[in-house]
Amino acid sequence: MTGVSRSPVSDQPSSAEVPPRRLDGSMSLLVDVMTNTLDEAYAARAAQKRGTGGGSSAPAPRGARPGRLPGVLVLVLLGLLTGTAVAHVRDRAQAAEGLRSDLAEEVRGRSAETDRLEAAAAALRSEVAATRDIALEADAAGSRVGERLRALELASATVPVRGPGVVLTIADAEQDPTLGTDVRLRGGSPLDGRVLDRDLQVVVNGLWAAGAEAVTINGVRLSSRAAIRSAGEAVLVDFRPLSPPYRLEAIGRPASLEVDFVDSQAGRFLESLSSFSGITWTLDRSERLTMPAATEPQLRAARPEEPS
Amino acid sequence: MIPALALLVGVVLGLLLQPTVPAALQPYLPIAVVAALDAVFGAVRAQLDGIFDEKVFVVSFVSNVVVAALIVFLGDQLGVGGQLSTGVVVVLGIRIFSNAAAIRRHLFNA
Repeated sequence: MTGVSRSPVSDQPSSAEVPPRRLDGSMSLLVDVMTNTLDEAYAARAAQKRGTGGGSSAPAPRGARPGRLPGVLVLVLLGLLTGTAVAHVRDRAQAAEGLRSDLAEEVRGRSAETDRLEAAAAALRSEVAATRDIALEADAAGSRVGERLRALELASATVPVRGPGVVLTIADAEQDPTLGTDVRLRGGSPLDGRVLDRDLQVVVNGLWAAGAEAVTINGVRLSSRAAIRSAGEAVLVDFRPLSPPYRLEAIGRPASLEVDFVDSQAGRFLESLSSFSGITWTLDRSERLTMPAATEPQLRAARPEEPS
Repeated sequence: MIPALALLVGVVLGLLLQPTVPAALQPYLPIAVVAALDAVFGAVRAQLDGIFDEKVFVVSFVSNVVVAALIVFLGDQLGVGGQLSTGVVVVLGIRIFSNAAAIRRHLFNA
Protein backbone atom coordinates (compact mmCIF):
# COMPACT_ATOMS: atom_id res chain seq x y z
CA MET A 1 0.00 0.00 0.00
CA THR A 2 2.90 2.33 0.45
CA GLY A 3 5.54 2.70 -2.14
CA VAL A 4 9.07 2.68 -0.93
CA SER A 5 10.94 3.25 -4.13
CA ARG A 6 11.26 6.44 -6.13
CA SER A 7 8.00 5.79 -7.93
CA PRO A 8 5.20 7.83 -6.42
CA VAL A 9 2.78 6.30 -4.00
CA SER A 10 -0.71 5.44 -5.14
CA ASP A 11 -2.44 7.46 -2.49
CA GLN A 12 -0.60 10.61 -3.38
CA PRO A 13 -1.91 13.16 -5.87
CA SER A 14 -1.80 11.63 -9.30
CA SER A 15 -0.06 14.66 -10.74
CA ALA A 16 3.18 13.20 -9.55
CA GLU A 17 2.56 10.17 -11.74
CA VAL A 18 1.88 11.60 -15.17
CA PRO A 19 5.10 11.39 -17.11
CA PRO A 20 4.59 14.02 -19.82
CA ARG A 21 4.45 17.10 -17.69
CA ARG A 22 4.05 17.36 -13.98
CA LEU A 23 1.77 20.14 -12.95
CA ASP A 24 3.83 20.65 -9.86
CA GLY A 25 7.12 20.40 -11.63
CA SER A 26 8.53 23.37 -9.84
CA MET A 27 7.63 21.88 -6.49
CA SER A 28 9.28 18.52 -6.99
CA LEU A 29 11.40 19.05 -3.92
CA LEU A 30 8.37 19.44 -1.68
CA VAL A 31 6.57 16.51 -3.31
CA ASP A 32 9.67 14.45 -2.84
CA VAL A 33 9.85 15.35 0.81
CA MET A 34 6.21 14.46 1.26
CA THR A 35 6.08 11.19 -0.70
CA ASN A 36 9.51 9.75 -0.44
CA THR A 37 9.86 9.44 3.26
CA LEU A 38 11.46 6.05 3.60
CA ASP A 39 15.16 5.66 3.17
CA GLU A 40 15.68 4.18 -0.29
CA ALA A 41 18.49 2.07 1.04
CA TYR A 42 15.93 -0.24 2.63
CA ALA A 43 14.30 -0.97 -0.72
CA ALA A 44 17.63 -1.28 -2.47
CA ARG A 45 18.93 -3.66 0.14
CA ALA A 46 15.75 -5.72 0.05
CA ALA A 47 15.93 -5.98 -3.72
CA GLN A 48 19.57 -6.95 -3.48
CA LYS A 49 18.80 -9.67 -0.98
CA ARG A 50 15.94 -10.95 -3.02
CA GLY A 51 18.26 -11.14 -5.98
CA THR A 52 21.23 -12.83 -4.33
CA GLY A 53 20.01 -14.64 -1.25
CA GLY A 54 16.89 -16.42 -2.39
CA GLY A 55 17.09 -18.99 0.40
CA SER A 56 16.00 -16.84 3.31
CA SER A 57 13.91 -14.34 1.43
CA ALA A 58 11.22 -14.33 4.08
CA PRO A 59 9.92 -10.80 4.69
CA ALA A 60 10.90 -9.10 7.89
CA PRO A 61 13.33 -11.53 9.40
CA ARG A 62 13.01 -11.00 13.10
CA GLY A 63 14.78 -11.87 16.28
CA ALA A 64 17.14 -14.63 15.44
CA ARG A 65 19.37 -12.67 13.12
CA PRO A 66 22.91 -12.08 14.29
CA GLY A 67 22.87 -8.40 13.32
CA ARG A 68 20.46 -7.57 16.08
CA LEU A 69 22.94 -6.04 18.50
CA PRO A 70 23.95 -2.91 16.55
CA GLY A 71 20.32 -1.87 16.25
CA VAL A 72 19.77 -2.21 19.96
CA LEU A 73 22.95 -0.29 20.66
CA VAL A 74 21.85 2.44 18.32
CA LEU A 75 18.52 2.67 20.11
CA VAL A 76 20.26 2.92 23.47
CA LEU A 77 22.35 5.68 21.94
CA LEU A 78 19.21 7.48 20.76
CA GLY A 79 17.75 7.22 24.24
CA LEU A 80 20.97 8.55 25.69
CA LEU A 81 20.96 11.46 23.27
CA THR A 82 17.35 12.27 24.08
CA GLY A 83 17.82 12.01 27.81
CA THR A 84 20.95 14.13 27.72
CA ALA A 85 19.31 16.79 25.56
CA VAL A 86 16.29 16.94 27.87
CA ALA A 87 18.51 17.12 30.94
CA HIS A 88 20.54 19.93 29.41
CA VAL A 89 17.52 21.98 28.43
CA ARG A 90 16.14 21.58 31.94
CA ASP A 91 19.46 22.53 33.47
CA ARG A 92 19.60 25.68 31.45
CA ALA A 93 16.02 26.64 32.34
CA GLN A 94 16.75 26.02 36.00
CA ALA A 95 19.92 28.07 35.88
CA ALA A 96 18.04 30.98 34.33
CA GLU A 97 15.28 30.66 36.90
CA GLY A 98 17.82 30.55 39.72
CA LEU A 99 19.56 33.65 38.41
CA ARG A 100 16.28 35.53 38.20
CA SER A 101 15.21 34.61 41.73
CA ASP A 102 18.68 35.49 43.02
CA LEU A 103 18.40 38.92 41.44
CA ALA A 104 14.88 39.42 42.81
CA GLU A 105 16.13 38.39 46.24
CA GLU A 106 18.96 40.89 46.03
CA VAL A 107 16.62 43.67 44.92
CA ARG A 108 14.34 42.95 47.87
CA GLY A 109 17.27 42.89 50.27
CA ARG A 110 18.67 46.15 48.96
CA SER A 111 15.36 47.98 49.11
CA ALA A 112 14.82 46.76 52.66
CA GLU A 113 18.26 48.10 53.52
CA THR A 114 17.44 51.41 51.83
CA ASP A 115 14.22 51.68 53.84
CA ARG A 116 16.12 50.97 57.05
CA LEU A 117 18.77 53.57 56.26
CA GLU A 118 16.14 56.12 55.32
CA ALA A 119 14.38 55.54 58.63
CA ALA A 120 17.68 55.92 60.48
CA ALA A 121 18.43 59.13 58.57
CA ALA A 122 15.00 60.52 59.41
CA ALA A 123 15.48 59.74 63.09
CA LEU A 124 18.87 61.40 63.09
CA ARG A 125 17.49 64.40 61.24
CA SER A 126 14.73 64.91 63.77
CA GLU A 127 17.28 64.61 66.55
CA VAL A 128 19.38 67.28 64.90
CA ALA A 129 16.29 69.48 64.50
CA ALA A 130 15.33 69.04 68.15
CA THR A 131 18.82 69.89 69.35
CA ARG A 132 18.94 72.89 67.02
CA ASP A 133 15.57 74.11 68.26
CA ILE A 134 16.75 73.93 71.86
CA ALA A 135 19.88 75.88 70.93
CA LEU A 136 17.87 78.52 69.04
CA GLU A 137 15.30 79.00 71.82
CA ALA A 138 18.04 80.47 73.96
CA ASP A 139 17.62 84.09 72.87
CA ALA A 140 15.22 86.30 70.92
CA ALA A 141 17.26 86.47 67.73
CA GLY A 142 17.61 82.73 67.79
CA SER A 143 13.90 82.13 68.14
CA ARG A 144 13.22 84.47 65.21
CA VAL A 145 15.63 82.42 63.10
CA GLY A 146 13.85 79.29 64.36
CA GLU A 147 10.47 80.63 63.21
CA ARG A 148 11.81 81.41 59.78
CA LEU A 149 13.53 78.02 59.60
CA ARG A 150 10.29 76.20 60.43
CA ALA A 151 8.43 78.05 57.71
CA LEU A 152 11.13 77.22 55.19
CA GLU A 153 11.16 73.60 56.27
CA LEU A 154 7.45 73.34 55.74
CA ALA A 155 7.73 74.92 52.31
CA SER A 156 10.63 72.71 51.26
CA ALA A 157 9.00 69.55 52.60
CA THR A 158 12.01 68.57 54.66
CA VAL A 159 10.05 67.79 57.81
CA PRO A 160 7.19 65.38 58.48
CA VAL A 161 3.88 67.19 58.94
CA ARG A 162 0.39 66.41 60.08
CA GLY A 163 -2.90 68.22 60.02
CA PRO A 164 -6.36 68.30 58.49
CA GLY A 165 -6.86 68.28 54.77
CA VAL A 166 -8.43 66.45 51.87
CA VAL A 167 -7.86 63.06 50.29
CA LEU A 168 -8.26 62.76 46.55
CA THR A 169 -8.33 59.27 45.09
CA ILE A 170 -7.95 58.82 41.34
CA ALA A 171 -8.26 55.41 39.72
CA ASP A 172 -7.85 54.12 36.19
CA ALA A 173 -10.98 53.40 34.21
CA GLU A 174 -12.20 49.89 34.70
CA GLN A 175 -11.19 47.60 31.89
CA ASP A 176 -13.93 45.50 30.41
CA PRO A 177 -12.85 42.02 31.50
CA THR A 178 -14.66 40.36 28.58
CA LEU A 179 -12.37 42.06 26.12
CA GLY A 180 -9.22 40.35 27.27
CA THR A 181 -6.30 41.82 29.08
CA ASP A 182 -4.19 43.30 26.34
CA VAL A 183 -5.83 46.39 24.91
CA ARG A 184 -3.25 46.47 22.15
CA LEU A 185 -4.81 43.34 20.68
CA ARG A 186 -8.05 45.22 20.18
CA GLY A 187 -6.32 48.11 18.50
CA GLY A 188 -6.48 50.38 21.51
CA SER A 189 -3.67 52.14 23.26
CA PRO A 190 -2.49 50.78 26.59
CA LEU A 191 -2.88 54.32 27.90
CA ASP A 192 -6.61 54.46 27.20
CA GLY A 193 -8.47 55.06 30.42
CA ARG A 194 -5.31 55.26 32.48
CA VAL A 195 -4.18 58.06 34.71
CA LEU A 196 -1.10 59.61 33.15
CA ASP A 197 1.73 61.58 34.66
CA ARG A 198 0.44 64.80 33.12
CA ASP A 199 -3.01 64.27 34.64
CA LEU A 200 -1.38 63.99 38.04
CA GLN A 201 0.71 67.08 37.34
CA VAL A 202 -2.40 69.12 36.60
CA VAL A 203 -4.20 67.80 39.67
CA VAL A 204 -1.26 68.41 41.99
CA ASN A 205 -0.87 71.95 40.68
CA GLY A 206 -4.59 72.42 41.30
CA LEU A 207 -4.16 71.28 44.89
CA TRP A 208 -1.27 73.68 45.46
CA ALA A 209 -3.31 76.48 43.91
CA ALA A 210 -6.25 75.64 46.14
CA GLY A 211 -4.09 76.29 49.16
CA ALA A 212 -2.49 72.96 50.01
CA GLU A 213 0.52 73.31 52.29
CA ALA A 214 1.83 69.78 51.80
CA VAL A 215 0.94 67.09 49.28
CA THR A 216 1.68 63.39 49.04
CA ILE A 217 0.93 60.91 46.26
CA ASN A 218 0.63 57.34 47.49
CA GLY A 219 2.67 58.33 50.50
CA VAL A 220 5.46 60.08 48.56
CA ARG A 221 5.79 63.65 49.78
CA LEU A 222 6.10 66.22 47.06
CA SER A 223 8.72 68.88 47.47
CA SER A 224 9.36 71.72 45.09
CA ARG A 225 11.96 69.56 43.42
CA ALA A 226 9.90 66.38 43.00
CA ALA A 227 9.02 65.49 39.43
CA ILE A 228 5.96 63.59 38.29
CA ARG A 229 7.02 61.71 35.20
CA SER A 230 6.34 58.47 33.46
CA ALA A 231 8.63 55.71 32.34
CA GLY A 232 6.97 53.24 30.05
CA GLU A 233 3.53 52.73 31.47
CA ALA A 234 4.49 53.46 35.07
CA VAL A 235 4.10 56.81 36.75
CA LEU A 236 7.18 57.94 38.65
CA VAL A 237 6.90 60.41 41.46
CA ASP A 238 10.24 61.64 42.69
CA PHE A 239 11.74 58.69 40.75
CA ARG A 240 9.70 56.17 42.66
CA PRO A 241 7.29 54.09 40.57
CA LEU A 242 3.69 54.20 41.76
CA SER A 243 0.75 52.10 40.78
CA PRO A 244 -2.90 53.09 40.59
CA PRO A 245 -5.15 53.95 42.31
CA TYR A 246 -3.42 57.20 43.20
CA ARG A 247 -4.19 58.61 46.62
CA LEU A 248 -3.31 62.27 46.86
CA GLU A 249 -3.35 63.79 50.30
CA ALA A 250 -3.20 67.51 50.77
CA ILE A 251 -2.90 69.32 54.07
CA GLY A 252 -4.64 72.66 54.28
CA ARG A 253 -7.98 74.08 55.38
CA PRO A 254 -10.28 71.22 54.33
CA ALA A 255 -13.33 73.32 53.47
CA SER A 256 -11.57 75.84 51.25
CA LEU A 257 -9.29 73.20 49.75
CA GLU A 258 -12.26 71.14 48.69
CA VAL A 259 -14.30 73.98 47.28
CA ASP A 260 -11.41 75.75 45.59
CA PHE A 261 -10.08 72.57 44.04
CA VAL A 262 -13.40 71.46 42.59
CA ASP A 263 -13.95 74.96 41.24
CA SER A 264 -10.50 75.25 39.77
CA GLN A 265 -9.35 74.42 36.28
CA ALA A 266 -7.78 71.23 37.63
CA GLY A 267 -11.10 70.16 39.10
CA ARG A 268 -12.89 70.72 35.80
CA PHE A 269 -10.08 68.88 34.00
CA LEU A 270 -10.54 65.91 36.33
CA GLU A 271 -14.27 66.02 35.75
CA SER A 272 -13.84 65.92 31.98
CA LEU A 273 -11.29 63.09 32.31
CA SER A 274 -13.79 61.06 34.21
CA SER A 275 -16.56 61.64 31.71
CA PHE A 276 -14.44 61.01 28.61
CA SER A 277 -12.09 58.25 29.75
CA GLY A 278 -13.97 56.66 32.62
CA ILE A 279 -11.31 57.59 35.17
CA THR A 280 -12.91 57.67 38.62
CA TRP A 281 -12.07 60.07 41.40
CA THR A 282 -13.33 60.91 44.87
CA LEU A 283 -12.53 63.84 47.11
CA ASP A 284 -12.97 63.53 50.87
CA ARG A 285 -12.11 65.65 53.84
CA SER A 286 -9.88 64.23 56.48
CA GLU A 287 -9.32 65.59 59.97
CA ARG A 288 -5.94 64.08 60.45
CA LEU A 289 -3.31 63.43 57.81
CA THR A 290 0.29 62.50 58.53
CA MET A 291 2.99 62.96 55.97
CA PRO A 292 6.65 61.97 55.96
CA ALA A 293 9.41 64.29 54.91
CA ALA A 294 10.41 64.31 51.27
CA THR A 295 13.64 62.61 50.31
CA GLU A 296 16.78 63.88 51.90
CA PRO A 297 17.47 67.41 50.69
CA GLN A 298 20.75 67.85 48.95
CA LEU A 299 22.98 70.83 49.34
CA ARG A 300 22.90 72.63 46.00
CA ALA A 301 24.28 76.05 46.73
CA ALA A 302 26.58 77.23 49.48
CA ARG A 303 28.39 80.43 50.18
CA PRO A 304 31.45 80.93 52.31
CA GLU A 305 30.90 83.00 55.41
CA GLU A 306 31.84 86.64 55.00
CA PRO A 307 34.98 87.38 56.95
CA SER A 308 33.91 89.79 59.65
CA MET B 1 9.90 -5.10 22.75
CA ILE B 2 13.66 -5.19 23.00
CA PRO B 3 14.04 -1.97 20.95
CA ALA B 4 11.54 -0.17 23.15
CA LEU B 5 13.37 -1.37 26.25
CA ALA B 6 16.68 -0.29 24.78
CA LEU B 7 15.23 3.16 24.12
CA LEU B 8 13.90 3.41 27.64
CA VAL B 9 17.19 2.31 29.16
CA GLY B 10 18.97 4.97 27.10
CA VAL B 11 16.60 7.73 28.20
CA VAL B 12 16.91 6.76 31.86
CA LEU B 13 20.68 6.59 31.57
CA GLY B 14 20.81 10.00 29.93
CA LEU B 15 18.57 11.57 32.56
CA LEU B 16 20.37 9.96 35.49
CA LEU B 17 23.98 10.24 34.40
CA GLN B 18 23.61 13.57 32.61
CA PRO B 19 26.81 13.07 30.65
CA THR B 20 28.67 16.29 30.18
CA VAL B 21 28.37 17.40 26.59
CA PRO B 22 31.07 19.74 25.35
CA ALA B 23 29.61 23.23 25.23
CA ALA B 24 30.41 23.48 21.53
CA LEU B 25 28.24 20.45 20.77
CA GLN B 26 25.28 21.38 22.95
CA PRO B 27 23.31 23.36 20.33
CA TYR B 28 23.37 20.34 17.99
CA LEU B 29 22.01 17.85 20.50
CA PRO B 30 18.28 18.54 19.95
CA ILE B 31 18.74 18.49 16.17
CA ALA B 32 20.63 15.22 16.43
CA VAL B 33 17.77 13.75 18.46
CA VAL B 34 15.22 14.78 15.83
CA ALA B 35 17.37 13.33 13.05
CA ALA B 36 17.77 10.11 15.00
CA LEU B 37 14.02 9.93 15.57
CA ASP B 38 13.54 10.20 11.81
CA ALA B 39 15.84 7.21 11.29
CA VAL B 40 13.98 5.22 13.96
CA PHE B 41 10.56 5.94 12.45
CA GLY B 42 11.92 4.97 9.06
CA ALA B 43 13.21 1.73 10.54
CA VAL B 44 9.88 0.90 12.15
CA ARG B 45 8.10 1.51 8.90
CA ALA B 46 10.62 -0.60 7.01
CA GLN B 47 10.11 -3.35 9.54
CA LEU B 48 6.36 -3.24 8.92
CA ASP B 49 6.94 -3.11 5.17
CA GLY B 50 9.04 -6.22 5.60
CA ILE B 51 12.21 -4.73 4.21
CA PHE B 52 13.96 -3.80 7.43
CA ASP B 53 17.69 -4.18 7.42
CA GLU B 54 19.92 -3.76 10.42
CA LYS B 55 22.86 -2.36 8.52
CA VAL B 56 20.77 0.20 6.68
CA PHE B 57 19.22 1.27 9.98
CA VAL B 58 22.51 1.76 11.78
CA VAL B 59 24.10 3.54 8.86
CA SER B 60 21.09 5.80 8.26
CA PHE B 61 20.87 6.59 11.97
CA VAL B 62 24.48 7.63 12.30
CA SER B 63 24.58 9.51 9.02
CA ASN B 64 21.31 11.28 9.81
CA VAL B 65 22.63 12.49 13.14
CA VAL B 66 25.98 13.55 11.73
CA VAL B 67 24.54 15.26 8.64
CA ALA B 68 21.88 17.13 10.63
CA ALA B 69 24.46 18.35 13.12
CA LEU B 70 26.81 19.30 10.30
CA ILE B 71 24.13 21.27 8.47
CA VAL B 72 23.32 23.23 11.59
CA PHE B 73 26.99 23.70 12.37
CA LEU B 74 27.58 25.05 8.90
CA GLY B 75 24.56 27.30 9.30
CA ASP B 76 25.97 28.60 12.57
CA GLN B 77 29.24 29.44 10.86
CA LEU B 78 27.37 31.25 8.11
CA GLY B 79 25.10 33.07 10.54
CA VAL B 80 21.92 31.29 9.50
CA GLY B 81 22.04 28.56 12.12
CA GLY B 82 18.59 29.32 13.49
CA GLN B 83 16.94 29.25 10.08
CA LEU B 84 18.77 26.11 9.02
CA SER B 85 17.82 24.26 12.17
CA THR B 86 14.23 25.30 11.54
CA GLY B 87 14.56 23.90 8.02
CA VAL B 88 16.04 20.65 9.28
CA VAL B 89 13.32 20.29 11.89
CA VAL B 90 10.60 20.99 9.31
CA VAL B 91 11.89 18.47 6.78
CA LEU B 92 12.58 15.79 9.36
CA GLY B 93 9.26 16.54 11.04
CA ILE B 94 7.41 16.02 7.75
CA ARG B 95 9.22 12.74 7.23
CA ILE B 96 8.50 11.59 10.76
CA PHE B 97 4.83 12.43 10.31
CA SER B 98 4.52 10.63 6.99
CA ASN B 99 6.33 7.60 8.34
CA ALA B 100 4.15 7.63 11.42
CA ALA B 101 1.12 7.77 9.12
CA ALA B 102 2.43 4.77 7.15
CA ILE B 103 3.02 2.91 10.40
CA ARG B 104 -0.48 3.75 11.51
CA ARG B 105 -1.91 2.44 8.25
CA HIS B 106 0.01 -0.78 8.75
CA LEU B 107 -1.05 -1.30 12.32
CA PHE B 108 -4.66 -0.19 12.22
CA ASN B 109 -5.44 -0.47 8.49
CA ALA B 110 -6.79 3.02 8.73
